[in-house]
Amino acid sequence: MTLSTTELFDASAPWSLNAQVSLRDEAFGALAYHHGTRRLVFLKSRELVELVRQLDQFESAHAAIDELVPADQHDRYVGALASLAHSEILRGR
Amino acid sequence: EELLVEEV
Repeated sequence: MTLSTTELFDASAPWSLNAQVSLRDEAFGALAYHHGTRRLVFLKSRELVELVRQLDQFESAHAAIDELVPADQHDRYVGALASLAHSEILRGR
Repeated sequence: EELLVEEV
């Protein structure tokens, strides 16, 4: 059995933007570039960009999502953060 | 459910 990216992501843990990642705001959201892995990631909503920028102010990803994301979008944003963690755009702290 | 994250 293979666990999905979302299932492997611990949203109860504290996360932050990786220090090796540069974020550039764009009309659609933002570009994230990882200087170590050379991965370029498109964050395709302004809400997701705000969530990523403010993650380090919360004790967990869940707490940040509860505060910043509408309730009916929570699962979607947990999945987005899981994908960003898998790409090393986010790191545990 | 458009993807929020895409990677290149």
